[in-house]
Amino acid sequence: MVKITVNGQQIEADPKKPLIHACHTHDVDVPMYCYHPGLSPVGSCRICQVEVKQGEAPGRVMVACRTYPAEGMVVDTESPKAHETRRECLEFLLKNHPLDCPICDKAGECDLQDFTYAEGQAAGRTHEPRRPLEKRKSLGDTIVLDEERCILCSRCVRFFEEIPKQAQLTVSDLGSRSVISTFMDKPLKGKYQGNIADLCPVGALTLTKFRFQARVWNLTKMASTCGECSRGCSTTVEVLRGSDVKRIRPRENLDVNGWWICDIGRFAFSHINAPNRLEGSLVREVPGLSIARNEDALCAVRDMMMRHKEVLFLVSPWLTVEEGQKLLDYSKRFGSKPIFVSPEHNSEKDTVLHTGDPCPNRRGLTELGIEGLPQKAAIERMQKSKCIVLLGERIVELIGASAVEALPHATSVAVFDCHALDLPQVQACVGIANSAERTGTWVNIDGVKGPIAAVKPTPRNVRALERHLDDLVKLSPSTESMGARAR
Amino acid sequence: MIAWQDLLVMVLKIALIFGGLINVGALMTLAERKFSAWMQYRIGPNRVGPWGLLQPLADGVKFIFKESLMPDGANKALFRFAPVIAALPAFMTIAVIPFSNDIVIAGKNYGKLAIADLDIGVLFLLAIGGLSVYGVILGGWASNSKFSLMGGLRASAQMISYELTLILTILAVIALSGTLNLAEISDGQATIGTWNIWSQPLGFMLFVIAMFAETNRHPFDFAECEAELVAGFHTEYSAMKFALFFLGEYSAMTVISCLATVLFLGGPSVPFWVDAPWYVGFGAFIAKTSMFLFLFIWVRWTLPRFRFDQLMGLGWKVMLPLALFNLFVTGVFVSLGWNLWAKLGSLI
Amino acid sequence: MVIVKRKELSFAEQLYIPEILRGLSITFRKMFEPKVTRQYPEEALIKTDVTRGQPRLVVNEDNSIACVSCGLCEAACPAYAITIDGGETEREIEREPKRFDIDMLRCILCGFCEEACPKDAIYMSDELELADYSREALIYDMDKLKRPKKALQDRIDYVNRINDRWQTPSST
Repeated sequence: MVKITVNGQQIEADPKKPLIHACHTHDVDVPMYCYHPGLSPVGSCRICQVEVKQGEAPGRVMVACRTYPAEGMVVDTESPKAHETRRECLEFLLKNHPLDCPICDKAGECDLQDFTYAEGQAAGRTHEPRRPLEKRKSLGDTIVLDEERCILCSRCVRFFEEIPKQAQLTVSDLGSRSVISTFMDKPLKGKYQGNIADLCPVGALTLTKFRFQARVWNLTKMASTCGECSRGCSTTVEVLRGSDVKRIRPRENLDVNGWWICDIGRFAFSHINAPNRLEGSLVREVPGLSIARNEDALCAVRDMMMRHKEVLFLVSPWLTVEEGQKLLDYSKRFGSKPIFVSPEHNSEKDTVLHTGDPCPNRRGLTELGIEGLPQKAAIERMQKSKCIVLLGERIVELIGASAVEALPHATSVAVFDCHALDLPQVQACVGIANSAERTGTWVNIDGVKGPIAAVKPTPRNVRALERHLDDLVKLSPSTESMGARAR
Repeated sequence: MIAWQDLLVMVLKIALIFGGLINVGALMTLAERKFSAWMQYRIGPNRVGPWGLLQPLADGVKFIFKESLMPDGANKALFRFAPVIAALPAFMTIAVIPFSNDIVIAGKNYGKLAIADLDIGVLFLLAIGGLSVYGVILGGWASNSKFSLMGGLRASAQMISYELTLILTILAVIALSGTLNLAEISDGQATIGTWNIWSQPLGFMLFVIAMFAETNRHPFDFAECEAELVAGFHTEYSAMKFALFFLGEYSAMTVISCLATVLFLGGPSVPFWVDAPWYVGFGAFIAKTSMFLFLFIWVRWTLPRFRFDQLMGLGWKVMLPLALFNLFVTGVFVSLGWNLWAKLGSLI
Repeated sequence: MVIVKRKELSFAEQLYIPEILRGLSITFRKMFEPKVTRQYPEEALIKTDVTRGQPRLVVNEDNSIACVSCGLCEAACPAYAITIDGGETEREIEREPKRFDIDMLRCILCGFCEEACPKDAIYMSDELELADYSREALIYDMDKLKRPKKALQDRIDYVNRINDRWQTPSST
């Protein structure tokens, strides 16, 4: 550790990390385009220039991402000289940048926009037409490149070199015709492509799935956790006008995922936005399932369980710790213990983030005492039971509707899921909130707790599983009276 | 035994007078809006019928189809009954007003155009007319609303104060004419010189002022008083119940205008035409009454509203002493037989 | 503190009667003066350069909409009347609105959308009539909002003129 002075403030800095890192950790704002804390610095954009004095020498303007702190260094980020240099750099960066903010998806969260606004130079001084380049260059299925907007910071290039360690992008051609391109114009591959759209400080790299979908200032953003594998990457879930999840982005969390997320987790909102949600509840009546109030459905579930006394609680691995605890308490009344269905590891496992285990809360549930059972074993257990309660989002998807259909018709099944299951065995279906609509905690494979946030409202008459379990407890007679009835 | 012709004549008279009164009430709502519009450089209602003449009809239809609301906690029976009490006295008192001289058609005399020729007509009119305030008070009280209650209270205080003046001025007229029969009072003013307005100028002025207060009209409309009390006693009323209050107000105006005509302007007497046929007399009566009705509207759109304490001060400290003085002087003149005005009148 | 004394009333004024008569004579005379009422549906409203009617979307000569659904009018709208969903298009401009709703019941005709628009795509037209039988019908979608550029030309010229005036330094 060395002692340096930044804007008159004495701080201790790590000499192994660039000066810009020391500034940022002490809340000193230094603009940056090419520098990223997760990537190696190159100093190509020159926007992070600050005035540095060492010893008796007069102050010099240096790029903060390629300068390392040294004992006694005096840094001034706001000196006129630093400002002037940064403004000049900015003018060069903007020389060929098209003024298409109205159609650019980055507008609103664009570093170039923000800093241009802060520097206050509204008009350019060039008279020449801007360099025309390709505006819609497809880089595979995930990414679209707008070459005109690119400021050649090379973050994306370095990302592929350093994180998945598969170099795919490069800066090709020369001078003002320099563009980002793949080798031989091949489409990008791998499952970390989406990250370069987040990395891009301007709107050059955009996601095909988010392109022109929403203005970023219209999105409601909440910190949440990815549920696609047991890594449990920290995410920001972004919702447009309280209805659809439009994008999921990684949230900086050095304990879990750093700044990255895989494309499986990034685009895992299709089941959250899935149509045909079960709004409210369904209860079996003579011809089939019919719409019922939540309380009536819960009463039907309770009656079903009381009738059979022996109940198999099968839950999904997406259950939160809180829901698991409530269910565990409740299932004690029937002398049974819930079991979560644990699907087999898939082939997505890699060395960066993905664990290949699709149960986001495996560790949390196991620590509670709920054990996992492979899919096949779970189905076998179901065939032995007379009364089955399936709980948690995607539980039906996990064990398969056909597995329920194959059960003997005398079996009674109750389902707590986001979607209805219309089979003769099913006595009641209760709609529950999905993981963008409820709060709770998942514990990832390393024991790090990840919050999940209710980022959008539930559909009408739909409540979180926790609330339903609370009501079931209220509706059920106490343990003693149940014992009395059994006698 | 009443002959059927007499009965028919009676029924016709009743139909004419009642029908007339109700229609005047309706037309007055239009007149009010038209005149107020003209005084404010506006046009006024002109959409329904020619010159908006069918506006009252449209309003009536609207009132019938409006939802009739009743506040929670209102006294239901009284709330329904109050508009009836407010409107009824006007309909009853119109019965004693003589609208014309004897009707003579084809040499046959059908009597005056009046429903009842009551010997104590003035007394009847005052007694029944005084009841109308109950409609306002009960309506205000039964609404269970503070605005309504305040409106009702003010109305009652005001009515009692000004009724005194009104009666004292009428007493002076009665002292002059020596009868309580309205028909005889109007007969006694057959020529323009004998009109009571000449012998009772102060009384006439006091009567006109008190008549504004009695009918709760501007500048004495403290029962409604939009500025402070929302709409006073009828704040909570809607639909036909509200319309009935409205009708009651305009009918009361009409009746009191008729009374003023009879008491001070010689009823159906036509100036400078003593032997005028009955229908000309009737026309003259209508014209005189219309003048008073116009005065009601005219004053409303000219003067601002009094303050309530000013109203009471005016009533008790100015009007009442003046009315007493007027009665005293008239009494002195009558008891001493100095019927100066009658002599002057006979000269004309 | 200023104490304002009430005007002393003369005897005639204290009597009220002459003053009342004076007032009555004024109102009586006013009855015969010309009327100022405008008979609205028959007599059209007077529209001037500055009349701000309902916002309308500009359609270019080639029948394409000028709006690129940037969302600035939506953000500028103080009444939250505008809702825009964008989408990709094959045109050179890449982006166009797939849904552009203005809730005319919310719109306060302030013209902020016009001012915010970077693409000169929304203008306050001279259309003012707004009546319908349901609230839903008054949420105008793109089809109801689109107007050919020619129909809005007066307003466009006016706005350009005003903008020029702002940009010219004042002569003082």
